Amino acid sequence: MKIKRLWFLFTLAFLVFIPWMLSDFWLYIAIEVLTFALYALSFNFLLGFGGMLSFGHAAFFGVGAYSAALFFKSSQMGVLSTFALVPLIAMMVSATVAMVVGYFSVRRSGIYFSMLTFAFQMLLYTVALKASWLTGGYDGTMGLKPSGILGQPSGYYFYALAMCVPCIYVLYRLVHSPYGLILRGLKDDPLRVQYLGINVRNHQWIAFIISATFAGLAGALFAFSTGNVFPSWLNWTASATPVLMAVLGGVHSFFGPALGALVYVVMEVIVTGQTQYWPLAMGVIILLLVYLLPMGLVGFFSKVKA
Amino acid sequence: MTPLTDRFILNVQGVSKSFGGLKALQGVDLQVKTGEFHAIIGPNGAGKSTFFNVLTGLLRPDQGQIWINGVSTAGFAPHRLIRLGVGRTFQITRIFPSMSVLENLQVALIAHRHQHWQGWLSYESVQVQRAKELLDLVGLSAQINQLAYSLAHGDKKRLELAIVLANQPKLLLLDEPTAGMAAQERLAAIKMVHQVATQLGVSCVFTEHDMAVVFAVSTRITVLHQGQVLTQGLTQEVRESPLVQQVYLGESIQANEGSVGKVELI
Repeated sequence: MKIKRLWFLFTLAFLVFIPWMLSDFWLYIAIEVLTFALYALSFNFLLGFGGMLSFGHAAFFGVGAYSAALFFKSSQMGVLSTFALVPLIAMMVSATVAMVVGYFSVRRSGIYFSMLTFAFQMLLYTVALKASWLTGGYDGTMGLKPSGILGQPSGYYFYALAMCVPCIYVLYRLVHSPYGLILRGLKDDPLRVQYLGINVRNHQWIAFIISATFAGLAGALFAFSTGNVFPSWLNWTASATPVLMAVLGGVHSFFGPALGALVYVVMEVIVTGQTQYWPLAMGVIILLLVYLLPMGLVGFFSKVKA
Repeated sequence: MTPLTDRFILNVQGVSKSFGGLKALQGVDLQVKTGEFHAIIGPNGAGKSTFFNVLTGLLRPDQGQIWINGVSTAGFAPHRLIRLGVGRTFQITRIFPSMSVLENLQVALIAHRHQHWQGWLSYESVQVQRAKELLDLVGLSAQINQLAYSLAHGDKKRLELAIVLANQPKLLLLDEPTAGMAAQERLAAIKMVHQVATQLGVSCVFTEHDMAVVFAVSTRITVLHQGQVLTQGLTQEVRESPLVQQVYLGESIQANEGSVGKVELI
């Protein structure tokens, strides 16, 4: 227990000192890792703990990004007050969308749940693509770079860190709470949970909304780091990213997906620097992963330790 | 016109259920008084499983009514039924295999005490004392930290019973409580259930294939045959009824002798 706490503090301290260790280029990569870590962790809240494979999670990442972008574009306030509200807007909008999507999706389980999330994602993707007056259509929404201190890589890094860490902490507490234990029960045996008096659909619905809320925040944070949002962020291929990160890191551990996000993003940068065949490399990695590390990186490390 | 439901913990009147052309249940009545151990027997296909699924809210009856503890349960989803003080075990044991025995109990206790929206506290210290009491009751204390999937078959059944008792039920519905056990283990298993239920004053309805098990603990028996109640009464009466012996017990005893030692595939 104590050792765990020390690890937390050590990691946190390390994250705080990162801007003094990395070049601007790699600092932006670090921001990407942070936001995708939050994204993958929120996704795995559903998959690893609730047993629900959402195949449309990119929709919430994208909805968060677009809503924050639109708010940013129309905001008359100063940069700091705008960016104090950006996370709230992104989270509220994605939570609202998730209420509707989740309400219908949790009424089916297994592959049918996945297909429903997939279908809603395609609807939202089409909106992002076709509602040009709102989203900029195919060209996306650009010019999202904040001015002032948040325009600096290190400034934005600290901002993203200050947003991600509390959210990850909230997810951590939830997973280890009575609510989270019931959620784990749903993964094992939903019928048994129902026969203990729990309204299973409600429990799953709330989990879905929580997960989508944090995915939306991750999308918003990433949008201001790259300076733009594209409809492809909501495309179904984008929904594979959190799945891969979670599986790569290990869906059975809480922090596995964050490690997966780190490895995934860094490898993508390195591989695309050498060749344009990143999907090929990814394919090989997944093959090796499934055959050699079925429990993910975290599973592998804990085996080595034991 | 509400019948005198209060006298019965479970009161079933005229329940029918069809699947397409198949009449799985036709006008089944059943009354269970507090403290009774009521066995439902009948050959395969008699409608026992359908009846159980209707009782526990998985299936809606086409006709008829069910009162549990005086409350009409028409259209109740299972989780609402459970809140009336019902516990159900399954033919194929349903526990949480990836969790420890203690965590299994904590899930049940959290659900029972309505703590399932508590999202900030750690669950680890929640209800540990009560969980230990329940494990003592079913004799699983030694395995408290073991992962549930690694338990022996009989211990899984004990664990499921403990989970169900966390709800402090007034009525236990046990679907084939000795399914999958070797013939010599069955009596001991049902006697354990009987002892615990008697100690807690819980009524019990159970389906069972093994006649030795039925006769050992039941106070009353309902015999289902082709979806209808063939006969109903005190265990001794049913045992001696020539009709029942002819229609059911005769073939069952033969069937049972044939199946001793075989693994049940259900």
